[in-house]
Amino acid sequence: MVVNPQQEELRELVLTRTGGGVDAGAPIRQTSLWRDAWYRYRANRAAVIAGGLFLLLVVYVVFAPILSPYDPYAVDFSQAYQPISWSHPLGTDQYGRDLFTRTALGGRISIGIGFAATIAITGIGILYGSISGFVGGRLDNGMMRFLDALYGLPYLPFAIIVTQLFQTVNFWVMVIALTIASWFTAARVVRGQIISLKENDYVRAARAVGARWYRILGRHLLPNTLGVLIVFVFLELPGVILGEAFLSFIGLGINPPKASWGSLAQDGRDVYLAHPTMILIPSVAIAWLILCAFFIADGLRDALDPRTRET
Amino acid sequence: MPLLEVRGLRTYFATREGDVKAVDDVSFSVERGRTLGIVGESGCGKSVTALSIMGLIPKPPARIVSGSIQFDGKELTQLREAELEKLRGRDIAMIFQDPMTSLNPTLTIGTQITETLRRHLGMSAREADRRAVELLEEVRIPRANERLKDYPHRYSGGMRQRVMIAIALSCNPKLLIADEPTTALDVTVQAGVLDLLEELREEHQMAMIVITHDMGVVAEAADDVVVMYAGQIVEQASSLELFDRPEHPYTEALLGALPSLEGERGREERLASIPGRPPDLLDPPAACLFAPRCPFAGLNDYCSVEAPELRELRPGHWVRSAHPASERAAVAV
Repeated sequence: MVVNPQQEELRELVLTRTGGGVDAGAPIRQTSLWRDAWYRYRANRAAVIAGGLFLLLVVYVVFAPILSPYDPYAVDFSQAYQPISWSHPLGTDQYGRDLFTRTALGGRISIGIGFAATIAITGIGILYGSISGFVGGRLDNGMMRFLDALYGLPYLPFAIIVTQLFQTVNFWVMVIALTIASWFTAARVVRGQIISLKENDYVRAARAVGARWYRILGRHLLPNTLGVLIVFVFLELPGVILGEAFLSFIGLGINPPKASWGSLAQDGRDVYLAHPTMILIPSVAIAWLILCAFFIADGLRDALDPRTRET
Repeated sequence: MPLLEVRGLRTYFATREGDVKAVDDVSFSVERGRTLGIVGESGCGKSVTALSIMGLIPKPPARIVSGSIQFDGKELTQLREAELEKLRGRDIAMIFQDPMTSLNPTLTIGTQITETLRRHLGMSAREADRRAVELLEEVRIPRANERLKDYPHRYSGGMRQRVMIAIALSCNPKLLIADEPTTALDVTVQAGVLDLLEELREEHQMAMIVITHDMGVVAEAADDVVVMYAGQIVEQASSLELFDRPEHPYTEALLGALPSLEGERGREERLASIPGRPPDLLDPPAACLFAPRCPFAGLNDYCSVEAPELRELRPGHWVRSAHPASERAAVAV
């Protein structure tokens, strides 16, 4: 059911008015920030569907390898290139490994790397951006000019160089590779938020009661950036996942026999005419994840930052 | 010895074009248990004076060029930031103009009150919660116990200002600075907040500085008054004396600009205003700063050539003008 936005606003208005009155009678049901956000998120149908599909994907990725009767690494050439069937819902690859199981394992790695790298990007961004924005002045200027210089660094070549610096490319190497040249925007977003937030009266009021800097930053500034940061995470996620998929596709990703969706697609590339499902399935999985992330980000932005909605 | 003594305070803001003299040689003192009103129009340096006392002026661009601020035997201008932080909220508290934005929307009212208690008095979470309820009751928030867990958006403007007052009072400060405490409130709420402030001031035996542009607020709350214009004090007297016998033409004009319900001259009369604008504080002329707007400045050349000094016309009544009311009368006779 679509809620009439005007009705919704009126309800909010009445709630705040009656809640704010000096002689408010019966206790009023608490409407927390998060509950409000959840109501707004629910109103966005595409975001709800995307959220459901995302959860479905996560459930598949987590449980399929546990429940599967097949060993994802056991080579059996007699079973190579099996078509889609009841015993192999997504067929098998050139070594006869069950793709339903391997796609789920690949998804664990793709989604895991995607989230880990995004969180690393956001974390570094918070650290760098909040120091820069909070201290301000010359330090801010210096840190931002340094960032400008870093912005010139091309993202993919740097990621490639990082993967070449290590003997084996495992999960964490991929996270580093994807983080190293992509945290600049996060830092700028956080800095901008901090700078605009620190002009708020309540920050001055906090200083007037003697709050120390770390309290002001940790208690009054960063929590207020949370909404924007959550949205940022979901906006950043598709790019990172795509980056990982690209590196794996050109053979610079995580080392075999482990696989991510990118390297599964790479396996399928050689035989795409004879066995098109091998490249299609991981590609669909990647597209599925990325689309979900975009719609979720959209819904979260409406839910957590309602000011942008008022257009 | 007075609780707070400000001597020759000069706070300048550095800009590309030069220093803006926001506060220029301001001196006053506040005795324990008394209320000082600082009046003036926007941009006359009232708030910057208060923020200078609190050590909260934005540095840069602002800086205290000279002067001393003695508070309870301590020279505030010499204190390090960490020492000032201990003082703020505990010994000197401040209430700001806009209660709608002075509370953090992401923290509960309770958290924001207990923040100060735990910081300065080292209370445990439970103690602080209990004290916060008492404080809310003291500022007359109904059902304080439940409302502690509310977020600020569920409070009205007047209630938020009461919460700000509760926070300010939480550590029993010796001095409370209220910067336009009622300006952002509905008229109906203003009087209530003012009464509450006055009552609590007496109860807690605080000294108070009330900064306002509203002569009505001064009349109600202040024992002594400082009238500021263009970063300087132009008149200083006890509240009774000032309203009874205003000397400076600017003070007279401010009083004349007060709207009255039952004006002798009828209701249709327009609100009186002071013609002209305050001078540019970037490069103030070496003359009486009020001269361009002063109805008496034409009488001689003195006003546009030399800046008048602050002089004591009567005991405790200081004026910076070449044409105080009492001397004008003498000339006319």
